[in-house]
Amino acid sequence: MTTLAASLNPSPNDATLERIERSAIDASARLPVLLFFGTAIFWLLIGSLLALVAAFKMNIPGLMDNEAWLTFGRVRPAHLNTVVFGWASAAGIGVGLWLMARLCRVAMMHTSLLIVAAIFWNLGVLVGTLGILAGDSRSIEWLEFPGYATPILFIAYAFIGIWGIIMFRFRKPGHVYVSQWYLLAAFLWFPWLYATVNILLIWQPILGSAQGAVNWWFAHNVLGLWFTPIGLASAYYMIPKVIGRPIHSYYLSILGFWSLALFYSWNGMHHLIGGPFPAWMISASVVASVMMFVPVITVAINHHMTMQGHFGALQWSPTLRFTVFGAMSYTIVSFQGSLMAIPTLNQITHFTHYTIGHSHLGLYAFFTMMMFGAMYYIIPRLVGWEWPSANLIRWHFWLAAIGILIMVGALTFGGIIQGLALYDPAVNFMNSLFFASPWLWVRSFSGLLLTAAHVIFAVHFVMMLLHLGDKRAEPTLFARPIPEEETITA
Amino acid sequence: MMVAAFLILGGLIFLSGTALIAFYWAARDGQFRDLKKGSEVIFDEDEPIGQPTDRFPVKHTT
Repeated sequence: MTTLAASLNPSPNDATLERIERSAIDASARLPVLLFFGTAIFWLLIGSLLALVAAFKMNIPGLMDNEAWLTFGRVRPAHLNTVVFGWASAAGIGVGLWLMARLCRVAMMHTSLLIVAAIFWNLGVLVGTLGILAGDSRSIEWLEFPGYATPILFIAYAFIGIWGIIMFRFRKPGHVYVSQWYLLAAFLWFPWLYATVNILLIWQPILGSAQGAVNWWFAHNVLGLWFTPIGLASAYYMIPKVIGRPIHSYYLSILGFWSLALFYSWNGMHHLIGGPFPAWMISASVVASVMMFVPVITVAINHHMTMQGHFGALQWSPTLRFTVFGAMSYTIVSFQGSLMAIPTLNQITHFTHYTIGHSHLGLYAFFTMMMFGAMYYIIPRLVGWEWPSANLIRWHFWLAAIGILIMVGALTFGGIIQGLALYDPAVNFMNSLFFASPWLWVRSFSGLLLTAAHVIFAVHFVMMLLHLGDKRAEPTLFARPIPEEETITA
Repeated sequence: MMVAAFLILGGLIFLSGTALIAFYWAARDGQFRDLKKGSEVIFDEDEPIGQPTDRFPVKHTT
């Protein structure tokens, strides 16, 4: 790395200055980002436990039903909200903050704003989760957190949004990278979504079936205008950086961003096909859902063509392995989503486990895997320590990847069988449940695999924080990758 | 009820307005010009194009 000429010349060159700048940015991000990551991993574990309890209740009716707070009606929303707000959002915020600082090429300013935001965020999730378990759930999907928890979360969001705008304002001049567009949009969109839905459903509730429309407008947009932009922002940075090659077509990436902004917020009504709504509303949403093929195909082509010829890199880069898994899942889940919006298919899949499979494909196989990948890249740069064990990373990847594939497969098949049975007037309702039940056992088993993956990741994260493991002879970050994964020099 | 309606409409206009302004600004600022250079802003001399930046940890015993 350092040539003789460079070491003889005391004046630093461009590369050294850039490395110093990058280290300063990473150092400034250390506390807030690790705070978001650490708490996110904590909620991931809690969310996994709640998920297991809810899943096994489907297999063994009456399991742990003696305590009110352990009943399905409380455990299931508690699972959803801890993984959505406690894990996925917090992990996404952490990744978003770090990417924002790197792409603006300035050290993080006003980190106290972010630390306050992290504290409020977790306080909100804690109060909300306990509220749900205590029986205060609001029974609105994706919004179960009781009214006393939402303002706390909103304050946290506001701080993050303000910070995002400040950072963007003070960025180094030059091109605004596509990931920055996605992040800024996400940081602005979510507070708007969250405020709007709280005004319309909680503060001044609108009446009748319009509530359903607001509810699904919100719930779908959390996925489309909050998680999707953050996930894609991460992929658009990580894939080119890891393999050292710019995106295949930058034009397509820009087209993808603006078409996502145009079409995605119309999608929510496809959850209400067959419901008591004006036909134009549902039709417009179905059309917009199908139009989502435009941004999705641009992203898919782009990621695939960037990776073309570099798929071997999946062997040596943990970040790339998780990120590419996430990117492929994004294509699949989006295609599936567009197809599910078509009324003839929706007739079968609606109100079945198929939908649960779809949402796990989106939130886990796409978003969560994307976040794992980004964390494997970011955390070593924050703590100044390499991941102690390649084997733990491998176990984490394979348990998570196989687990989620089994889960989505089981729910998809079980859901289709259930849907066809529900649709057949000759089959009585109880039988439609029995047909799906073997698949639910498979789902619970896959949940165990995922939980094991999360425990491994959490342990590895703590080892990183404590700087356990071998001290690397040279900083791995700047070294050239070598194909041999384990070189032992005795 | 009126307050809520104003807040909702205000938010809607503000958000759509920001999107339009952002798009207009991006076009005026030349963000859509020279896209090849745009895709290369995440690389620099220290981490240049062609240099991978991540790998599995390698075991060292000294």
